[in-house]
Order: sequence, then C-alpha cells, then structure tokens
Amino acid sequence: MYIHQKATKPFSRRQITYYRDLLWELVSREMKLLYKRSLLGVFWTLLNPLLQLLVFSTVFRLVLKTGQSIPNYLAYAFSGLLIWGWTQTSLFQATGLITGNRPLIRQPSFPTAILPIVTVTTGMIHFLLAFPALLIIMVIDKVQIGWPIVFLPLLWVLQFIFTLSFAYPLAALNVTFRDTQHTLGVILQLMFYMLPIFYAVGDGTIPPALAQLYHWNPLVVLLDAYRYVLIGGDRPSLIAMFGLSAVCLAILPIGYQIFKRQGAKFVEEV
Amino acid sequence: MKPAVIVENLGKRYSRYHRDRPRTIMEAALAGFRKMGVEESFWALREVTFNVMPGQMVGVVGHNGAGKSTLLQILSGIVGPDEGNVEIIGRMGALLDLGAGFHPDLTGRENAHISAVVGGLTRKEAERRFDSIVEFAEIGAFIDNPLRTYSAGMQMRLGFAVAIHTTPDVLFVDEYLSVGDLAFQNKCLDRILDLKNNGCAIVLISHNAEQVQELCDQAIWLEQGRLKAYGDPEVVAGRYAGKMEAISGQPKTRTYSQQVEIRQVEFGQSEGQLEINSGDPLSIDITYDAHQGFDRITIGLSISDIDGQIYFNTNSGTVGLDIPAPMGLGKVNLRIDRLDLPGGDYFVNVGLYAPDWSETYDYHWNEHPFSISWTPEEQSLLNPPKQWQIISLSTPAIETTSTQS
Repeated sequence: MYIHQKATKPFSRRQITYYRDLLWELVSREMKLLYKRSLLGVFWTLLNPLLQLLVFSTVFRLVLKTGQSIPNYLAYAFSGLLIWGWTQTSLFQATGLITGNRPLIRQPSFPTAILPIVTVTTGMIHFLLAFPALLIIMVIDKVQIGWPIVFLPLLWVLQFIFTLSFAYPLAALNVTFRDTQHTLGVILQLMFYMLPIFYAVGDGTIPPALAQLYHWNPLVVLLDAYRYVLIGGDRPSLIAMFGLSAVCLAILPIGYQIFKRQGAKFVEEV
Repeated sequence: MKPAVIVENLGKRYSRYHRDRPRTIMEAALAGFRKMGVEESFWALREVTFNVMPGQMVGVVGHNGAGKSTLLQILSGIVGPDEGNVEIIGRMGALLDLGAGFHPDLTGRENAHISAVVGGLTRKEAERRFDSIVEFAEIGAFIDNPLRTYSAGMQMRLGFAVAIHTTPDVLFVDEYLSVGDLAFQNKCLDRILDLKNNGCAIVLISHNAEQVQELCDQAIWLEQGRLKAYGDPEVVAGRYAGKMEAISGQPKTRTYSQQVEIRQVEFGQSEGQLEINSGDPLSIDITYDAHQGFDRITIGLSISDIDGQIYFNTNSGTVGLDIPAPMGLGKVNLRIDRLDLPGGDYFVNVGLYAPDWSETYDYHWNEHPFSISWTPEEQSLLNPPKQWQIISLSTPAIETTSTQS
C-alpha cells in the first residue's frame, strides 16, 4: 500500500489552486508550442476546417449529390466539422500522451490523470477559437440565431466529458500496444464518414434500416443537439440531453478506472 | 517526531513477459491474443524496511540491478508496491533526469515556469522564486532564449535550480553530482545540505560509497532487491566498498610496484583447498622475491570473508620483527595458534610494505582461499574454547561437565 500525506489537505485551497495552475501551465505549453512551430500558429486551426469544408462540401454536394434537402448546408456542415474535429484531434493526441511525456510521469507526485484533461482542454480552446468563424458562416448562410444558444455551454461540458472518457483508456492502451495511434487514425476516419457531418440521417443518404441504428450513437445525438441549438433555433430534446448526460456519467468512471489500473505499469513499460 | 518516510516490508514484483509478446494491436490480433500473459515474475525488491526522519539523509548503495531505481520509483509513487507499506509525509521533490522535461522550442523562462509548477509549486510561488532560480542556475540573460540554444551544462543547471527551489519535504536524489563543474557541484551540495538542515528528508542513491559515508546519516545496502545491510554509513558503505573490490576481482597487485613480489602463500599442505576445524591452528608460509634489495620490509596479513569483512589483521611491525629483504627469495612463516572463527569460506590476504607504510610493494587480496568447518547450529562470529558447568542443583548433585574445544 502506498500512502502519500501531502502537506496540504486534499481539497484545500492550495491544492485546488495548484491543480488549476498545473492545468494552465500544461495547456499554455501546448498552445505556445503550436504558436512557435508555425508562422500561422493558431490560425491553422481555423484554416484547416475551412479548407476541409471546401473540399468535402464540393464532393458531397456537387459530386455525390447528397444533402440537397438540408437547409443552411454550409452552417450545417461546418458546425459538424468543428464539433467532430475537437473530439477527433483530442482522441488522436491522447494516445501519444503517456508514451510522449515520460519525464513528466516520472516526476514524483505528478498527477498523470491530468494529461488527458490537458489534451481535451487544448482541443476545446481550438474549438472555441474557431467558433467565431462558425458564427460568421452562420450569418452568411442567413441562419436565425435564437435564444436556445444558451444551451451551448451545456453541450460543451457534455462533449468534454464524453471525449475525456475515451481519451483515458486510449492513452493507457498505447502503452501496451504502440500502434494504437495508427489503428485509431483509421477508426477515426471511419467515424468521420459514419457521422452525419456532410449529410443528414433522414435525407435518404443512408438506408432507413441503418438510420435507426444511427440514433444509438451518442455522437450523432450530440451533433443533432448542437444543430438544434445553433441552426434550428430550438432547444435540444430533453430525452436526448438526459440520455447523453447519463452516458457521459457512466463512461467517465469506466475510462478513468482503466487508466488508473494501467497507471502503475506506465513507468515500467514506457 | 514522526518519520517523513516509512518503508515497511516493501516488495515489488516485476513480470517477465513472453519473449515474442505482441507489441502492437496488429500482432496481438494475428497471434489471437495469445502470449499476452505473464511468463514468470521475479522480486525486484523484497522485505525492505527502513525509516527516514525529517532532516536525515539516507544513502542507498548497491550495484546495478540491485533495486535502487525501483526503490526510488516506488518511493516517488510512480509505481505501486506489491507487498508491504510505504508512507511519505509532505511534499516530494526529485533530482533525477534533470531538465528532461524541458522543451527545446520554449525559452528557459517558459521551461522553468512549467517545470516549477510540475514540481509542485503554484504559479504564484514559482513567480516569487523565479529570480532566485535564474541566479542559482547562472543563466543570466540567456533565460529568454530558446532552450535549444543552451549547452547541456546550462540545461542541467537550470533543471537543478528549479528542482531545488521547490523546497520539498522529502527529496529523492539520483547520482546528482554529475551536474556542471566542481564549483557548481559544491554549490548544489551546499543547497542540498541547506534543505536537510531545514528538515527535509533525503534519500540519496549512489554508486559512490565514499560520498555516502561523507554525507549520510544512515546507509542502506541493497543486493538483489534485499536489504543486505542497514545502519551506520561508515560500516555499511565501507563493507559495500570492500565487496565491490572483491567482485571486480582484479587483485590490487597490478597497481603496485612489485619491487618486492609475493611469490607464494602456502598453508603447508600439498594439494587441494585447505579446510581446517574451528579452533585449529593455521600456519602460513609466505615466499617473497625482492627485485630490489631493502633493509627491512613489513608483512601484513589479514583474514576476510567474501563480503570483504576483515576478521583478523596483523603485521610484522607490531611485534617489532625486522624482515630483511636482500635481492632474491625469502620465506617467512606466520603461525596462528588458534583460529576461533565460525565455519565458512575465508581468504588470507597478504601485503608487503615499507616499514613506515609509505609504500606498498605488493598485495594479494582474496587470492588465497581456505575454509573452516564448524558443526554446531550457532550464529556466532567467534568460537573461543568454552566450557559449561552446572554449579548446583536442588537434587543431590551429580558431577556433570560438558566440554568442547
């Protein structure tokens, strides 16, 4: 049994300040590195989805002729891209966390569990930085922005928890299997096409039998909720919200436990 | 006062996996998730028990693979123990992998800030100590340059400066004295001793027995994951140093002048390794060959065990014996009337010296083995002649004596 009695109590003000500061420093490290490595810096995080929007909307709308029935198609597609982009990049980066941060993990009393939080937070900051661009596209696309937009923070929190729940086990898995990141890249790409980002579930792109299954995917529910709030000008359905919250609260402890159980092996295996 | 570090019956088991254990998901799938299990396990540490009080420094010695690093990792809470208890009270700090967490693209200032917060300070505390960190690291104006422009020494200095400024209650040090030049090493040492005097408990891992003897209040000798010795650093580290010489095997002869050379050391027996009984006499013939003539030499002789523990030590100088060494061969005999050591394997060590000890001509260490056999089941370092006698009984006395020589 290992007991570490810190000089300060677990939930003392200093300890909370400390975790906040640690999160701040690690997130700002990520941001600074991004700024320093490329001339355009954070601007890339905006440019990238815009270019993607250009490519995919051309392919889907003009070549595949899907999504013709979707109103406010640009805003619809762009919001989907940004939302999925946050989860996708966070999960992809989370796999390299433990293997890539060996010196931090070897630091005594370093809370390793903060690393996935750092990654998801960094992803969220990029997401929020790109949000004004979405608003601009929405205005161009003549979307009526209504009061349900106040639900946005709730959706951010839910997506944060959802992403974090998967970031934990993925980070741990990469310690045992070093090709997790490659494998995950393929899976994430598959997810990208399986999610209604450039098409809608009900627009006839996918067979109706499959459409039923789509609604069991929490990410589809999340995307729908975002679009209700942003484009539909309506509050998301209560059932969907409760369902999502329940899923998030159920999977976060599971993901965290997997991470913790693997945790003792990190240093031995990294 | 309560100890800052309590280690109780600590054990850590490591698993050895199958040699072809899949390292990737692809391989694992192809292998049908076979060979994933543990093939065998071994104890990297077992039955380790010790305490460190606040303000105490404990040195851990042991050769590579003895479990020193594992111990440090368990103490830091990085890996969990499989057996026993570890209790650490207060904030922990470490002087290991100095500067390894630094990022080359960030400036020294940015790296130092991150490192200080990772090390356990809040941002406010880090800010307050920042000037002192820069001053200690002797970085000066370079602090705002990217770390990749720093020399290795500068990075280490900055790493050390940050680590030492987190003022931990418990500090783990892994061979720290490789930082920078001698002057900086002394500065580091002073700073570590400062912390110690202010009540910081320190665990120092070292290969260097002398360093442990010099700095530590207690010493631990780990061998194959077990506590080989624990206690006074002079004794523990000294024994460790002795053993290291025995293992490195090469007798010290190579380095001596050999102006007078030890030719032969005999136990007056024709062949095979000598085995005597405890309490038997031991006769040793020493033949030497003087390549240069000397008026007098002194012969030293000791008996030690494989661990380098010396049980008996004598030299011809103490009895005022003059041993002349003209050019050519000479032979001396030492007879020990009784050797009351317990059973075991021993070595006779012989040295030839100038009478004033200013020079060692030749020295044989652990080269001449012999063994002592001893039957009784007694843990004892000495087996003098002894006699038990029953002085009185309430029943009519029967004369009973039992003698053993």
